[in-house]
Amino acid sequence: MQVIDADIVIVGAGGAGLRAAIAVAEADPSLHIALLSKVYPMRSHTCAAEGGAAGVVKANDSLEYHFNDTVSGGDWLTDQDAVDLFVNEITKELIQMEHWGCPWSREGSGHVAVRPFGGMKIMRTWYAADKTGFHMLHTLFQTSLKYPSIKRFDEYYTSDLIVDDGACHGCTAIEMRTGEMKLFRGKSVIVCTGGAGRIFPFTTNGAIKTGDGMAMAYRAGVPLKDMEFVQYHPTGLPGSGILLTEGCRGEGGYLLNKDNYRYLQDYDLGPATPTPVLKSMELGPRDRLSQAFWQESKKGNTVQGKWGDIVWLDMRHLGEKLINERLPLVRDLSISYVAADPVTDLVPVRPVVHYMMGGIHTDINAATPIAGLYSAGECACVSINGANRLGSNSLGELLVFGARAGRFAVEHAKTVKAPRDALVTAQAADAEGRIKALFKRSGGKQRVSQLKREMNLSLEEGCGIYRDEKSLRDTVAVIADVRARYRDVTLEDKSSVYNTDLYQTLELGAMIECAETVVHSALLRTESRGAHQRLDHVERDDVNFLKHSMAYYNPNGDPRIDYHEVVITKSQPAARVYGAAAGGQAA
Amino acid sequence: MSKRTIQLEVLRYRPEQDKEPFFQTYTVPCEEEWVVLDALNYVKDEIDRTLSFRWSCHMFVCGSCGYKIDGEPKLGCKAFLRDYGDNIRVEPLDNFPIERDLVVVIDDFVEKLQSVKPYIIAKEEKALAAGEYIQTPAQLKAFKQYSMCINCLLCYSACPQYGLTNQEFIGPAALALAHRYNMDSRDVGRSAREHVLAAHEGVWECSFVGACSVVCPKDVDPAGAIQQAKFTSAVDYLTSMVGIGGK
Amino acid sequence: MGARRPYMRTMSKTSWFMTHARFKTYMLHEISSVFVALYMWLLIDGLFRLAKGPEAWEAWLSFIKHPLVVVISLIAFAFFVIHTMSWFKAVPQAMRIQQGEHFVDGKLIIGGHYAALGAFSLFVLILAGVA
Ligand SMILES: Cc1cc2nc3c(=O)[nH]c(=O)nc-3n(C[C@H](O)[C@H](O)[C@H](O)COP(=O)(O)OP(=O)(O)OC[C@H]3O[C@@H](n4cnc5c(N)ncnc54)[C@H](O)[C@@H]3O)c2cc1C
Ligand code: SF4
Ligand code: FES
Repeated sequence: MQVIDADIVIVGAGGAGLRAAIAVAEADPSLHIALLSKVYPMRSHTCAAEGGAAGVVKANDSLEYHFNDTVSGGDWLTDQDAVDLFVNEITKELIQMEHWGCPWSREGSGHVAVRPFGGMKIMRTWYAADKTGFHMLHTLFQTSLKYPSIKRFDEYYTSDLIVDDGACHGCTAIEMRTGEMKLFRGKSVIVCTGGAGRIFPFTTNGAIKTGDGMAMAYRAGVPLKDMEFVQYHPTGLPGSGILLTEGCRGEGGYLLNKDNYRYLQDYDLGPATPTPVLKSMELGPRDRLSQAFWQESKKGNTVQGKWGDIVWLDMRHLGEKLINERLPLVRDLSISYVAADPVTDLVPVRPVVHYMMGGIHTDINAATPIAGLYSAGECACVSINGANRLGSNSLGELLVFGARAGRFAVEHAKTVKAPRDALVTAQAADAEGRIKALFKRSGGKQRVSQLKREMNLSLEEGCGIYRDEKSLRDTVAVIADVRARYRDVTLEDKSSVYNTDLYQTLELGAMIECAETVVHSALLRTESRGAHQRLDHVERDDVNFLKHSMAYYNPNGDPRIDYHEVVITKSQPAARVYGAAAGGQAA
Repeated sequence: MSKRTIQLEVLRYRPEQDKEPFFQTYTVPCEEEWVVLDALNYVKDEIDRTLSFRWSCHMFVCGSCGYKIDGEPKLGCKAFLRDYGDNIRVEPLDNFPIERDLVVVIDDFVEKLQSVKPYIIAKEEKALAAGEYIQTPAQLKAFKQYSMCINCLLCYSACPQYGLTNQEFIGPAALALAHRYNMDSRDVGRSAREHVLAAHEGVWECSFVGACSVVCPKDVDPAGAIQQAKFTSAVDYLTSMVGIGGK
Repeated sequence: MGARRPYMRTMSKTSWFMTHARFKTYMLHEISSVFVALYMWLLIDGLFRLAKGPEAWEAWLSFIKHPLVVVISLIAFAFFVIHTMSWFKAVPQAMRIQQGEHFVDGKLIIGGHYAALGAFSLFVLILAGVA
């Protein structure tokens, strides 16, 4: 097996991975960086983010406001030391992006413009029209080309982390164009592989968001934290699951039920003012809006369309000029996918799985419990998102914690001597052996697509916007069954060059591992908090569950679920208030 | 939902077993609102797991899914079946070597992208504490269109110059990106990029066929960017001749 | 390289433009410039003849009245028109005029060019005493 030595190995070249790579290159240009990604960096799913990135910059705003919005938005499951650090560092990161060329939208004066976003009391979301993530990703990618120490390995599928004696020494990855497995040895490893929304059937997440990195770290012994908190975004296009950014509502769009009534006023989010007020109505947090949809649907107030239940997103009153300037992609997508022009028509929408609040357990330095292993971005859980992420906090998160991961990985690398060669090589050989065995396996009757479908549907049915003990137990059983049958999957494609059957099969394995942590954590959390709503335990239970769930891998059975204290510094858990009582600013 | 059955003719090439590419036809039951990418995914999931193609976002922003569809370079996730007949032909993009099936080798493009120095070259480093650069909406507008490129490479597939020069021509997207940075009020790197743009394989290789701008799914108008770059390049040349010096 | 065997499709240097309607139009456009060049040559020749003296000039005049030459001239004129149109059409792409946050509408720029062409033609015709 070919061995590639680097000082810092970074797995994933989305927003977080690229930011980490640049941080390493700037901290110490003499370090060799290997940046691996299963797709070309600009294909990473950060490109899909539309709305923006929050950072305090205007005179009427304060760090404390951003802190409070984030902590209460996360239903107090956030670690407050991490949030504090985050709100303090994010603006600097956003300015850094500006210096690197990110085309932020501007005010007439030439200063960056900000827009309102759900759950934020003050307008503080920086944006680049409705393609913020796209511009951030391309800015980071293009800027990364400046640094000779960043060596990219594009289209390398990382299969396993090499962990020995409580420390991480690298990873194994398959070069997709040749099918050859290589061993990457490094003193520090940073995992930035993004989310796992694809475990659900209806999601805004791209094909690559299969939780590979979460599963790798999980298998290596790192707990996955708070995996039961899965964010549904209230406005996905039915059928395709394509996202219509929260910006639609930030600019003043309404959500209407079948009677053209702004139903959110019935869910403690009112009063219904004609122009948007922050933290009210359509600018409430995502968990509450998605839950309101579910309730409306139970009451028979949603519209039965050809795509099932939907409600309407009404942007007609915003006018063509504003829509073209601020929401051009939204218009394009709506016309193309549901034949509705927001300028003249109501657009059908429904909640769609969007973001994993949980992920690889890290501390505020992006370090995992395994020495030399760091993680940042959507795959990590610091946690600043708690039980519900506020829109526009995750693009910020990947910058702040991506950069921190890079810097702390550099610090760690300085302390490491050469890895223990023999053991590392043996582990890599094991990883290769597993792939070879998969190629050799024959006669299995299980199809990847069938297993994936079963997993997807059972999660949606049993572990969706609302859950209860029975639905969760059913899902637990289905996932266990899928996991058992997965061992019998046979590759239909036995070739080496760009074998996507192989990668989809490996991805399914990762997804099953993520799914089991989601459903087991959800089953044991007998309370309702943020995005985790139990019909059989409707109240938040701070006595027993003001804690992070920690799912540990168990090769022979269900994950072991443990708990970890939440860091509370200055904000004691209280009721989450939205609507009139929240005192949000007019947007 | 209304169903419809199409014949999907896909150019296959598996280097380990096929001497050269050939067409394979799949019969695909489709939903009315599907795009070509959905039909390909149906094939992958239900009919033939050996078919390889790239895709990710399904919302025309990641740039992975460029294929030649009925002879025209298109994004698979933006090619709606309703705009096609019942026989649809899908091939890999032209002008790139075929790695396998619909997957092409794009190393050459990635090198070219890097060669134009696609990052801000600032006059002097500005401290973060000093805040953002002031850039008016008008200054933003001057380059914004050229920053919208998703690197889907449809333009390279459509560009005969790229094919005829055996991939020597730097090509539409990379040149448009160079122009994007040249036009950015925060950037002073035009002279650093000039030797690439003005080289033989640079803007002057473009014979203004204009196909790139026709096929671009993001209205980047690389052809326009190149013509503008020709103009500035010529001016730079003339001013340097008379010793004034450019940007 | 291992199992890789990237397949390079070849592009014919002589018949590539037959592969797409768009290229055929482009090629026709390019080839048509031969006619335009011929016509230019004819005009320049006329100038030389004029300079040589009345006889040469008369001969040239009768030459261009020959039906065959008239037909070629008409074709050339048609191509002239097409080239002018396509050139004008491309101008807004190559020469964007920005006013504040907006670009001047391409149609206006194109219209401006036609107007200028019209005005210039009229001027020439007046000079020539035709109008
Ligand atoms: C449609 C949409 C809109 C959004 N809008 C917003 C918004 O407005 N504001 C906001 O703050 N957030 C938004 N988000 C969330 C935010 O975009 C994501 O959380 C964030 O971009 C994740 O970035 P990342 O770098 O962690 O991961 P990604 O960008 O997903 O990158 C993951 C990287 O890991 C690599 N990788 C994965 N697995 C492997 C493997 N096995 N081997 C090698 N490489 C691997 C991939 O190739 C990729 O390079 C949105 C999300 C979506 C889906
Ligand atoms: S310029 Fe247009 S066609 Fe070319 S790569 Fe960019 S987005 Fe694609
Ligand atoms: S799949 Fe991303 S552009 Fe088509």
